[in-house]
Amino acid sequence: MYFVLTALRAGPLHGHAISKSIRELSWGRVQPSVGTLYGILERLNERGMITVDREETVNGRSRRYFRITPEGQTLLEAEAMRMQEAAALVLRPSGA
Amino acid sequence: MTALERHYRRLLSAYPRAYRRAHGDELLDVLLESAAPGRRVPPLKEAWGLLVGGVRSRITHQATGSAWEDGLHLGVTAVAAVNLAALLPYAGALPLWTLLSALALLAILRGHLRAAFPLTFVTGVKAVGLAAGRQPFDVTLLPVHPNPLADRALFQDSDPALVAAGYAIVLIGLVVLTSLRRPVRARSWWWWAAVVPAAWAGPEWMAQETDYPISLSRLAVEAAAFGLGTVAAYSARDLRWALASSIYLLMVSGGLVLHADALTRQHLAYAGILLLLAAAAAFAPFRQRRHCLD
Repeated sequence: MYFVLTALRAGPLHGHAISKSIRELSWGRVQPSVGTLYGILERLNERGMITVDREETVNGRSRRYFRITPEGQTLLEAEAMRMQEAAALVLRPSGA
Repeated sequence: MTALERHYRRLLSAYPRAYRRAHGDELLDVLLESAAPGRRVPPLKEAWGLLVGGVRSRITHQATGSAWEDGLHLGVTAVAAVNLAALLPYAGALPLWTLLSALALLAILRGHLRAAFPLTFVTGVKAVGLAAGRQPFDVTLLPVHPNPLADRALFQDSDPALVAAGYAIVLIGLVVLTSLRRPVRARSWWWWAAVVPAAWAGPEWMAQETDYPISLSRLAVEAAAFGLGTVAAYSARDLRWALASSIYLLMVSGGLVLHADALTRQHLAYAGILLLLAAAAAFAPFRQRRHCLD
């Protein structure tokens, strides 16, 4: 979920581009299967965190481009802040 | 069409038809684009992802609309399936009544509740009559001997009250649902596949002389259905499956109470498994959220 929203910060992307972006952002550590990725996309879409920007037809098959919504952006920033605070508990110099 | 595409199309059938129609080609496009050149068989990770994604999508699709109306319809469907399963081993001697019971289940499955009521009612009157040794509507030679699915005569050990309870639950449910004047969803054809194992008296796991035999195949199909309900309740955070399980448990507990003096360890294990799964379905929707999408 976090990586999907992060990938979409760069602009509207379709499923395959999101998958590639996630792999790059996570240095290859996160590689969701297509079934998992679309499950996340559908749930984010239902909850208004992302929306369908446009649909295109490529090779006779329709392709949705998703984009992050302001609610998704807020959620992503809150999640990043939470993780930063959690990391700071461990990484800050001792005694600080 | 390549072998890989054929495999992926088969795996995509895990998704509901409406989703496949709307987005199946899009998923296929991404799957084929992500595939290594020359690949003929889907990687295990992709195959598993599609199966899990499909099941999750089906659950999400099911968990729409009024939870209590849908849960009631689901419970009524399950009890109607068991009513048919009770007659199925005797279809040779009771072709008309088995057919009417099957039509009642068909009407319930397709959401034709007004048609289901009279079919359930007449079948119920006949079944309760036979359990009580009476002959409503037509003459049936008693005892009614089974086909290879069962090993006892029809309702040999059943209390007429228990047979009546099964039909009463369906009829009351149909009255409630019909009075709402709202359409109910059509249910899966897989319900027909559950009727045969529920009707089968084998494999044996209880003592031959027990007054209230419950077959292992029936336990397996019931536990599988309750287990699926629990998974769905957990995944969708919805109480409809708990309601359906409770309605079904009403009928099961009626049988156990009526035969309380003849219960064995296997009976208690049977009741325990179903009760545990129904309780899990009831509590699963209230589990703690792990993240915002959970």
